[in-house]
Amino acid sequence: MARASQKTLARVALLVFTAGCVIWLTRLDYARKISTNVLDLIPAAEQAPEIALIRGFANDVQARVMLFVVDDPSAPGVPPTAAAQLLASELMRSPLFAEAVLLGDDSAQNVLGKKIFDHRFELLLPTWLGQHERTFALTGQPPEKYSAWLAEQSAAELEKFLNRPEAVALQDLTLVDPLLLVPGLVDRARGLSGPGSASGGPALVWTRITVSPLDEAGQGPVFAAVEAAFAQVRAAHPGVKLRWSGINRFAAASRARIESEIKLLNILSLVAVLGVSCIFVRRIYKILHLVPVIVISLLGAWTASTLVFDRLHILVFVIGSLLAGVAIDYGFYIYMQPSLRREEPYAEKLRRLLKPLLASCLTTVIGFSLLLFSELPLIRQIGLFVGAGLLCALGAAMLYFAQLERPLLEGRTFELLDTRRDRPALRRILQVLFGIALVIALGGPWLLRWRDDIRQLDVPSPALQANEEEVRALFGESSTGSIYLTQGSTVAEARQHLDDFLDYQSKATPGASIASLGLLLPTEADWRQLGPRLKRLGKFDGDFRAALERHGFLADSFSPFFQAWDMLRQQPPAGGYASVAGTLEGMLTGPLAMLGHLHGAAPWMLTMVEHAEGPALPPQLHTVAVSQLQSLNGLFTRYRWSALRLSLVGLGLVIASVFAIYPFRRGLRIALIPAGSCFFVFGVLGLTGQTLNLFHLLGAFLGVCLSHNYAIFSSDNATSRTSPPVSIRLSALCTAASFGVLSFSRIPVIHALGLTVALIVVTALTAVELEPLARRPR
Amino acid sequence: MKILPYLLRFCLGLVLVASLRLSAADSLPLGPDTLLTDPAHDPAWTELLAKLSASKTRQSQFEERRYFPFRSTPVMLKGEIRIAPEHGLSLRYLEPDRRILIVDDKGLLMRDDEGRQRAAPSDSRAQAVTSAMVSVLRFDLAALQKSFVMYGRRDGSAWMLGFVPRDPALAEMIGTLFVSGEQTRLDRIEMTKSSKQRIEILISGAREDVIFPGDVLERFFR
Repeated sequence: MARASQKTLARVALLVFTAGCVIWLTRLDYARKISTNVLDLIPAAEQAPEIALIRGFANDVQARVMLFVVDDPSAPGVPPTAAAQLLASELMRSPLFAEAVLLGDDSAQNVLGKKIFDHRFELLLPTWLGQHERTFALTGQPPEKYSAWLAEQSAAELEKFLNRPEAVALQDLTLVDPLLLVPGLVDRARGLSGPGSASGGPALVWTRITVSPLDEAGQGPVFAAVEAAFAQVRAAHPGVKLRWSGINRFAAASRARIESEIKLLNILSLVAVLGVSCIFVRRIYKILHLVPVIVISLLGAWTASTLVFDRLHILVFVIGSLLAGVAIDYGFYIYMQPSLRREEPYAEKLRRLLKPLLASCLTTVIGFSLLLFSELPLIRQIGLFVGAGLLCALGAAMLYFAQLERPLLEGRTFELLDTRRDRPALRRILQVLFGIALVIALGGPWLLRWRDDIRQLDVPSPALQANEEEVRALFGESSTGSIYLTQGSTVAEARQHLDDFLDYQSKATPGASIASLGLLLPTEADWRQLGPRLKRLGKFDGDFRAALERHGFLADSFSPFFQAWDMLRQQPPAGGYASVAGTLEGMLTGPLAMLGHLHGAAPWMLTMVEHAEGPALPPQLHTVAVSQLQSLNGLFTRYRWSALRLSLVGLGLVIASVFAIYPFRRGLRIALIPAGSCFFVFGVLGLTGQTLNLFHLLGAFLGVCLSHNYAIFSSDNATSRTSPPVSIRLSALCTAASFGVLSFSRIPVIHALGLTVALIVVTALTAVELEPLARRPR
Repeated sequence: MKILPYLLRFCLGLVLVASLRLSAADSLPLGPDTLLTDPAHDPAWTELLAKLSASKTRQSQFEERRYFPFRSTPVMLKGEIRIAPEHGLSLRYLEPDRRILIVDDKGLLMRDDEGRQRAAPSDSRAQAVTSAMVSVLRFDLAALQKSFVMYGRRDGSAWMLGFVPRDPALAEMIGTLFVSGEQTRLDRIEMTKSSKQRIEILISGAREDVIFPGDVLERFFR
């Protein structure tokens, strides 16, 4: 094919590809396609049910809550309830808010209390009867004595209750409820009532938004609605101050920080690459020819990733922007290779370079392709992004330089030492140094500590975190207690699991105060036994009157109770268990509605224990601590092992490919340089007491693939004991500089990746440079 | 038959019983005669109230009688009372159950003998009751006048004060508060909703300017 037609064909191919990518990418709905939600990094079909539970709870329930604190500095002793009430009303004008509740508003609590009282025989009596019957069974007395025994117990419990501080406040209730069904909730439901306005402090408003706080719609528009509502409040109550917190504030800050980091890091990387290039390249402007290669590589990576994945996490693009550091390698290698003769056609030159180019690119692509088998979506997405980007980079480099008349970027070669001459002293020193490096590489990694923390995926926002802690403390959230979620496939099963969990918890932390929404609901067994148990208590009325008199009560005072009891026995509550759960759920509004989900496919109930969280719960309890971070940290540790296995398999494949392509001695050198560099860096990190995570491991994999390129491209030079090509030095130092910049990132993941890759690349380049000098010339 | 001593003893017994059952409301009728419109500038009360409100730590024993409409006899509780102006009021119940009740600026806190504690719901009712109690026990005149209509009567060194909440909801909840004593000593606190619904706290063995060591403060206050 004529040179001109080759050139045209290459240009058309590049233009068509670029146009296709641009058209695809401009038509995307990025708000839907790109996620900033940390929980999206966990597989949707994560097999651990507790993870699915936490994911659902965190996404659908917890995340939508926004908390507002209204202060009036001019009257510090009085909660500005009027201003807070106005804020709640104004927020409710916006369709973005589903609920806005002024806490400490007695009317809501009174309504709930009345509803529970009205339904006490359905909700509370079955459990009360069940517990007493089980206790009676332990006494071994005959069944005919049960009624008298129950009456005596009830009167004694009532007498004891009068010693308690709340007895005075609840005396009117006690008259109609001497079995203490509702007063008994004081202990069990105390943790559920939520906070009121702090004494003499600010007024508190609890809200729930209608949109996901992790979507754009749940951020900017919600913030605008808050601003507008507070403007109204300030107009009516000048001087009041507002503090507020919500997941959306973190998500928006995280997104803004990541965007600014991407811009800053990319600029700094570019500056670093240019700085290095200025040292090695004679005509620096010619380096601009590498820009199209990198741009096409990134376009291809974006296009492939967005085509394959329905939703991608923003971190893929942050980490993916590092692709430039790898993509530039092929460009450098082709562009900086001088022709063998002046008239050597481009196609011929390319054919000459094709073996190392393909060996380098395809082996790296094979390695990254293995990441597609990871359980973790982020790793799969990175695997595809980098793999596709590398293929595009190689294709673009090959096609782009076909456009140029004489594609050659002339570099400066720094011959510090004549590598052909043997220097025994230097050789021995280098051999000793390589020996020490070997010891570090073999021994150091054993000292490494690994710890995975999902928070490393997020961008730290100390100011927002401090605000969050302050606001949540005012809302009564205790840092000393623990919160648990208990689930089941039906509400009856969830309630039974809750009983099992409470039984376990009472043994694990005896005396710790426990509150749960589930305790307002009987178990299915107790519910079904309500009618028969009431039937067996035909003489209870008389027995209880007598017992009350014996304990110093005026039994006639309780006549409203005895009337209600009589009616209850005649018409016991009926209906399915689900309807009782529905009755309870229907009573809950505002923060209380967050305490359980009593319908649908995966019902759950929340339990608060005033005790620090203990060891992991046995799986048969179907209960998980809501300290979701720890659960997810455990999950990430599992993913790290999965990534490690895949990386090792990938590395094995890469090495096998090298041995398939190259003779054994060259293959061994090519395999040892990247692997040795990686282990050496891990050894150094281990000796210096560093704690690594999943992303150091991914960085190492990337670093090994990059070093692998340098080992391949310098293979011929090593054999002939000449300095490695300038393209390798330039490429390695550019990569080290750009990744070194990333190690200064405030995002822990980027920092981990940047540091690991930079160290491995520098080590590999040092090995490539010094390795020939440590050998005796043949 | 020497009937007189029996009659005398019987009458004395009746008087004693009557005095025991006599509520503070009977001793301090709430009317124009006992209304204190400006106690801060009333010469009869200025000095006493100033002494009562002085920042002094106090410790004493107490006996609490709770009268319920559905019981024939009051429920009796006994314990120790500690007042530390900077920390609030602490009631340590010793009989029949052991528990500690702390009333301070943050509200009401209940603590059992093992140190487990729980705060009372911080809703406006509980807040109103505890802030009323704190104001009364501190004799914080400014706060008291804001929330209560005050009544008082002095009889030599004995005195009695009555506090009727201005807020009808609070009045419905706690009724009327009475405190009485001798000189600068507080002897009795009473919350009366009706003759059958009231609480009496009788204070004895009071000591002033008690030094509460750190561990005592930690155990009995928040």
